[in-house]
Amino acid sequence: MADGPTSGGPDERLESWLRRTAPALPYPATPNLIRRRPRQRRPAPAWAWAAAILVVALGALLAVPQARAGLVEFLQIGVVRVFLTAPTPTSVTSAATTAPNGTAAATGRTPPTPTASPEPTLLPSLLDLAGRTRLAEARQAVPFPIRLPAYPADLGAPDEVFVQDLDGSAVVLIWRDDTRPDRIRLSLHYLTSPMLGLKGLSEPPESLETALVNGREALWSAGGYVIQIKGGNWDFRRLIEGHVLIWTEDGITLRLETDLPLDEAVRIAESLK
Amino acid sequence: MTLSGEAPLTESDWISQARRGDEAAWEALVGAHQAAVFRLAYLFLGDADDAADVAQDAFLRAQRALDRFDTSRPLRPWLLRITANLARNRLRSAGRYLAALQRLLRSEPRPVLRPQAPDSPAADAQTLWLAVRRLNPNEQQVIYLRYFLELSEAEMAAALDIPPGTVKSRLHRALRHLRSVVVDEFPFLREGLVDG
Repeated sequence: MADGPTSGGPDERLESWLRRTAPALPYPATPNLIRRRPRQRRPAPAWAWAAAILVVALGALLAVPQARAGLVEFLQIGVVRVFLTAPTPTSVTSAATTAPNGTAAATGRTPPTPTASPEPTLLPSLLDLAGRTRLAEARQAVPFPIRLPAYPADLGAPDEVFVQDLDGSAVVLIWRDDTRPDRIRLSLHYLTSPMLGLKGLSEPPESLETALVNGREALWSAGGYVIQIKGGNWDFRRLIEGHVLIWTEDGITLRLETDLPLDEAVRIAESLK
Repeated sequence: MTLSGEAPLTESDWISQARRGDEAAWEALVGAHQAAVFRLAYLFLGDADDAADVAQDAFLRAQRALDRFDTSRPLRPWLLRITANLARNRLRSAGRYLAALQRLLRSEPRPVLRPQAPDSPAADAQTLWLAVRRLNPNEQQVIYLRYFLELSEAEMAAALDIPPGTVKSRLHRALRHLRSVVVDEFPFLREGLVDG
C-alpha cells in the first residue's frame, strides 16, 4: 500500500525508518463498535475535580483583576487556557464574604457553597497524589528533561515526585518544609498536554501580573484566592494558597508554587539545570 | 474490496444496501473499517475509551450522511476524515479536558507508556508516537495516516480531501518538523535513525 519516498535525501532514511517503526505500535484491542453501548457520563466527585485541578492546571488558572471579572474572555500561558465567565450573583456574594484574598485558609473557614452546589469541596494535599515515583524513574518515563532548581542552594532533590498522564506527561516535584514535613516548601509542575481548557468562575488573587523568566513572558499570581469551577453536572470551589509563577520553556509549561516573593520565584525558575 | 460474508459483494454494493436500511450491510461496513477508525482516534487521543467514543460517533455520522457519499470512492478515507475531525474537536473541547482530569484521579495512574521490552519494536514505536504528538495536529494527521495506518498517498488525498501533490508537500513539512523534534528531544530515536 505504501508508495515510494516522498522526497529524496534525508527524508528517505526517515521514511524508511518510519515505515519499519510506526506499524509496531501496540494498540488497545479494537472494541466491537456495533455492539458497544455509549458510555454513560457520570458526574465526578467534587474532591476529584479539586485534586485534579490542583495538580495540573488550577494553580495555573489565573484569576483576572476585578475590573475584568465581568468579561467573557480567556487567559493563556503555555498549554493552559483559562476561560472566564461572569460570576453569577450568588457566587459573587458568597465569595466576597469568605475569601477574597485567601483569608479563609488562614483561619480555617470553609468558603460557603453556592446555591447550586450541595457541599463545599475539600482539596486533598498534593502529597496525596497518585503516580508517586522516584526522580530517576520519572526521568525515564517522560520525553523531556526534568531539570531541578539550583537555587536555593540548600534545596537539593525533590522529596516527592509524581508522574501523571494528562493527554501528555505531567510531572509534579515537591520539596517539603524541613521544619514541618507535612507542609510543602515549594512545588514545580511540568505540563506538556495539548491545549487544556476550562470554563469557570473565579475570584481574583491579591494580584496578577506579568513577569519575565529567562526573558520570556510569565504570569505571576500572588496571594490565595478562591476559584469556583462550574459546568454541566459539577460544581466546586478551591482555595489556592501561596503564589504561582507560570512560564514556558522549550514547549514545556512550568508552574512553580511557593510562598516566596516574585523575585525569588523568578530566581528559582531561572536556576533550573 | 470484498467484505466478509458468503456473497462476494463489493463495498459499493454494501453501501447501496445500507442506504436502503439494511442494518446487516451497515454492520458489515463497520466491521471492515472499525479497526482503522478506532486506531486513528486512539493515535490522536491516547485513550482507548475516548477513542471508542469518537469511533462510534464517526460511524453514526457516516451512517447519517451515507446518502451523500460518492460510492465510486473507497469508504475508508472518508471515514478517517470524519474520525480525524471528531478527534481533533474532542481534543479542543472542554469535555476532553474534564475527561482527562478524571483520569488523573485514578488510584493507579495510566502509565505514560504501555510497558514494553526495552529496545523492542513496540517500544520504539511508542517513543516515536510521543515524538509525533509534539507536532501540530495537521502534521500529526498526515504521519498517522501515512506511517501508522499505512495509507497510500492516493488514499491520504481522499482522506484529507486535498490534491496528491499537496499530500506530498504536507508530508515533507511534517517529516522535516519530526526530524527536528527527534534530533532535539528524542536521542534514542535519533540513534535508531542514524543507524537506519
